[in-house]
Parts: sequence; structure tokens; C-alpha cells
Amino acid sequence: MKLPAFFALGALVATAAVTASAQDTAGRGATSTQPRSGAALFQQQCGICHLEGGTGTFMLARRLGQDNALLTNRTNLTDAYLRVVVRQGQQSMPRFTRVELPDDDLELIIAYLVGNSRESRR
Amino acid sequence: MQLILPPDVTAARFDQAMAAFAGVVGRQWVLADDEDRETYLDIYAPGNEEAHAPSAAVAPASVEEIQALLRIANEFRIPLWPISRGKNMGYGGAAPAMPGTVVLDLGRMNRILDVNEKFGYCVVEPGVGFYDLHRHLSENQIPLWMSIPGNAWGSVMGNALDRGFSASPYGEHSNNICGLEVVLANGEIVRTATGAMANSATWPLFKFGFGPSWDQAFVQSNFGIVTKMGYWLMPEPASTLSMNMSLPNPEDLGWLIDILTPLRMSRVIDQNIGIASYMGSATVSSQRSEWYDGRDALPEQVVRAIMDKTGAGWWNFGIRLYGDPEANEAHRKIIEAAFRERTEQPFRITRWTRGEGASGAAENSPARGGAPSPSVLPLQIVNWHGGRGGHLGFSPILPPDGKLVLEQLQRTRARFTEFGVDYSGTFYASGRHVINVNLILYDRDDEDMTDRCRKLFDALVKDAAQHGYGEYRTHLSYMDAVADTFGFNDRALWRMNETVKDVLDPNGIIAPGKSGIWPKNYRSARP
Repeated sequence: MKLPAFFALGALVATAAVTASAQDTAGRGATSTQPRSGAALFQQQCGICHLEGGTGTFMLARRLGQDNALLTNRTNLTDAYLRVVVRQGQQSMPRFTRVELPDDDLELIIAYLVGNSRESRR
Repeated sequence: MQLILPPDVTAARFDQAMAAFAGVVGRQWVLADDEDRETYLDIYAPGNEEAHAPSAAVAPASVEEIQALLRIANEFRIPLWPISRGKNMGYGGAAPAMPGTVVLDLGRMNRILDVNEKFGYCVVEPGVGFYDLHRHLSENQIPLWMSIPGNAWGSVMGNALDRGFSASPYGEHSNNICGLEVVLANGEIVRTATGAMANSATWPLFKFGFGPSWDQAFVQSNFGIVTKMGYWLMPEPASTLSMNMSLPNPEDLGWLIDILTPLRMSRVIDQNIGIASYMGSATVSSQRSEWYDGRDALPEQVVRAIMDKTGAGWWNFGIRLYGDPEANEAHRKIIEAAFRERTEQPFRITRWTRGEGASGAAENSPARGGAPSPSVLPLQIVNWHGGRGGHLGFSPILPPDGKLVLEQLQRTRARFTEFGVDYSGTFYASGRHVINVNLILYDRDDEDMTDRCRKLFDALVKDAAQHGYGEYRTHLSYMDAVADTFGFNDRALWRMNETVKDVLDPNGIIAPGKSGIWPKNYRSARP
């Protein structure tokens, strides 16, 4: 049986040598094959709660009504509001650290959601 | 928020240490302003979040950076609290046990280093989440199944290292660990089991190595910082057969455990069976105000109304059989025969065969068939009361005896009623033991309710210990209390843990207070 070279090397070498078998995980680790668009980042980072059927969507439906449950349908989102909610949490929504969601990625998500919001208002 | 420094560290020394950390990881990965510190607080804390406030966070990208950070931490006596993704919801989240500790956020170390389809394992770094690994397996059409906990937002490694579990054949997640890479407090890199061979050809294949086995010593532990983990995944079965049933009365739990235990021990059933009360579906699909507005625990007539409207039984459970269809059907007949001794009620049965919607379907689509998909929907429970919701889990281990389990249920329900808290329990029939997860849900804006929940928790820990039952896992605020219940021979095991801790980590750098294990320099800080 042949195991990847990773297992036969010391740790210092291994971290540099894993590229053949390693996969950067989507989301936090950028990969050359995955565009860093606001839409893609929203899907990865926010989508687990804020797409159709997600727990965040349920909670927003209760608080703000069905029309405002999906973030991508909202017409009243602003940059500042989104920044505060993501970093400080909202009701039972946990806060996002800058490791989990770096500022650059957050700004792309905000631009995507606020852009959507503006489009919806037209 | 107020900055709490580590014990015996001056502001000037702390600033020097942060500057030195920045020299290793870069300034952007030393997170030390007010907002950054707040993001590491326990948002579901049963009380004051700042009881476990970190002084900062630092996020390395490699083993070498961890080694460099440890050198600095030892020099400046800065305690570090390693987290993988910090989603230990209900147990403290990303927050440290001892206030002032710096969070060592390993979320940037998020590579899936290997997935071996033939032998059913992966090797991952701390920051790899269940969603990440699931996406990797799906996109590459790798026929391996993950065992996924109820809240799938977290890290595969972090969950295994905290003894997370699920109801699947690979559901005891710490049991899936096969070989770890660990950085000790002195910076030395150790690999466990057969990974200790310089040219190991069997690291993720054989758990025990030669000599003492150390993998489990790094579980719920503060003896080192785990940086790589060999982890077993389940080969996709040829088919599954699911058998679901609901039972109408709380007393049904006793005979149910007595039927399931021998089936589980003989491996006719090869998974832990979660037996959830009516509250399981109610807390996910509704809010308390839709049912009742009293401040006491839900009365019996409201419980029955919930059951009537949601269609849930008092208890609800599912058995899933995995393997060749012929074997599954044979096991189904054995299980049905065992249940006929106590109930005429038939199981609701569904079947899945390999190839049915397994590939190409959306990640969370039911079309994926039997393959488990990650979800965070169970986090809905924190919204039961509205406001800023929170939850705690009180989870004692019980003997798998129907009479004893029923007695524990009755004691626990009486305590919930006494403190005016809605009972929400699940019993996991796991063969030689039962894990009894009791969810305590509260509105953090309601000080009286939160206070009653804390008192309930204290009472439950004492009640369980009196009967010889200890928790398998607990929230930061209760680690010392639960550790004290493991008190044979004047806490001999914890003295041994702390002896080992002092040898491996003489400056008490790594996770002081984790699982009630305090290094000698902070032992006086023990609450």
C-alpha cells in the first residue's frame, strides 16, 4: 500500500509538500479555482443559515415577516447595519470573527447584499 | 468591553507579547481590539459572557507559527486557548475557561490533507468544518459518508476532540480518531500511534501504535495543541433501511431502552439511537409563545397540545440499518419481532439504495438519499423563548437499564418543573451506556430565567453524581463542578491529570482550566 508522501515526511517538510494531495477547503482558504465573488462567499459563509429553509431564514420570517425572511430579497440592508450584525451578532445569531470571515470577504458580501437591496428597490 | 489581562501579566508585558505574536503571524492576525475580543465571547452564555472573556486572539497559519507563538507565550507567560472553529455551541463557543486567556484560533489551518477512498479515512487540519469536508466529498464524488452532529457548523477535529457524537455507525466521533499530530507546550511536535514512525505507512489505519496509546489523552484535554488528525469515514453502504416510530407516554422510555440495548450490543443495530421528546420538533418548528405564556414549566395539557398539533409522540426515534439489502431486511425482521413484544404499532419504513440521487443533487437536498448532509437547523432551539436565546446541555451517562433510565427521567423532569424550566430531553441508546442530553433553553435577556437555569444545572449535576452518573461533556462554567464528581480517592484522577499537565506544560500555557485541569501556576484561579 502506498500512502501519500505527506505521511513519510517530517512536519516541516510536510506542510510544504502536501500540495499534491491537499485540498484547500472552500470558503476561508482561497483557491485558484474558486472566484472570490460576494455571491459565492454569501453562499458559503451565510448560506448555511440564510438560504431557503435555513435557520436564519426561519428566524427572520418570525421577526420581520415572510417577505423579509431571505436576505437576498431584502430592500433595506445597509453597509453599516450588516457590518454590525456580522461582527456583533443579532438575537441568537453568533458573531463572526475576522478569522472566520476576514474584512475583505465581509466587504464583498456586503456589496453583494446591498447591491441586491438597491436592485430590489428599483 | 473591559480588557481582562492574563493573571500576573502587566499591560506593558501583554503589549510586548502581542507585538511579538504579530511578528510571527502578521499584524492582521493578532485580534486584540474590543470588537475582536467580543467575537470570541460565548454568545449563548448562561449569564455574564465576560466571565470567560479572552484578552485577544491570535491566528497562526502553520505548525511552525504555532511553535513560534508557544516560544513567545512561554517567555511572557501568556496562556493560550486553542480552538479549531470555535463553534462549541452550548459548551462555551470559542471562549476560554480562564478570563484573560488569549484564544489561539486555528481556523486558518483548514486543509484537507488527504482523503483515502479505499481505506475510508481522511487527514484534516483543525479549521476544516463539516461543510468543508462534505463539499469536498460531494464535489469529488468520493463514496465516503461523514458522521455529522446536530450543529454542523463546527470543525471535524474540534468536535471529535470534544467527544461530539451523532446517531450513525461512526457516531462516536472520538472513536474515529486514528493518529494525531500534536504540538506540545515546549514546541515539540509529536505524532501518536503509528504516526510516530518517521516513515509510517499505517498512520490513519491502526489506532494503537506501540506502547501507551495517547490519542484519547488529547481529547477534552489541555496537554497539547492538535494540528493534524487521522479520522475514519464510513464507506457508502449498498443500501439503508430506516425504521421510525413515535411512542405516546413518557413511561415508554423504560421498555424501549430494554429492547434496544441487546439489539445494539449484538450489533443488529449498529448505530446509537436518539430517542427525542416532543420538544425536539416543537423547539425547531415553533416558539414557546405560540403554546404557552406562563413562567412555569409547560403543563401537561400544553404538552399534549404540542403532540397533537405537531404529530410528535412523547418519544420519537429512528433506527437506520446500513449494508446489503438482504442483511438489512433480515435485521428489520429481528427488530420488528423484538418490538412486537411491547407494541402492535408498525414502524414507518423507508429504503434507500446506492445511486439514488447520490451525486449531482444539491448539498442539502433530500435527493442525496441516505448520505447525511450537514445542517444547522437544530440551532433553531435557541429561539424557543425569543430574545437573545441561549442553551446549555446537561448530559449524564447512564447504564442502559430501562428502570434506571426511567428513574433518571423522572428525577430530571421533577427538577425542571421545580425550577420552572421546560423539559427537553433526548436519550441516546448506545449499547453499554445511554447518553442523556437535556437541553436547557433560556432567554439571556431574562435574568430571572437564566438564573433559574443555572440553579437547575447545579442541582442536576449533584443529583446525577449521587446516583453515580457523570457528564460526558459540559459547558466551560461547569467544568470544575463536573470534574469534582469524578472524585474517587480524593480526586486521584484529576491529581494525575494535573501532574501530567505540570510536566508537559510547566508554565501552564495551553488551555488552563480545560476539563477542570489547572496547571500549578493557575490552580489558585480555580473557581
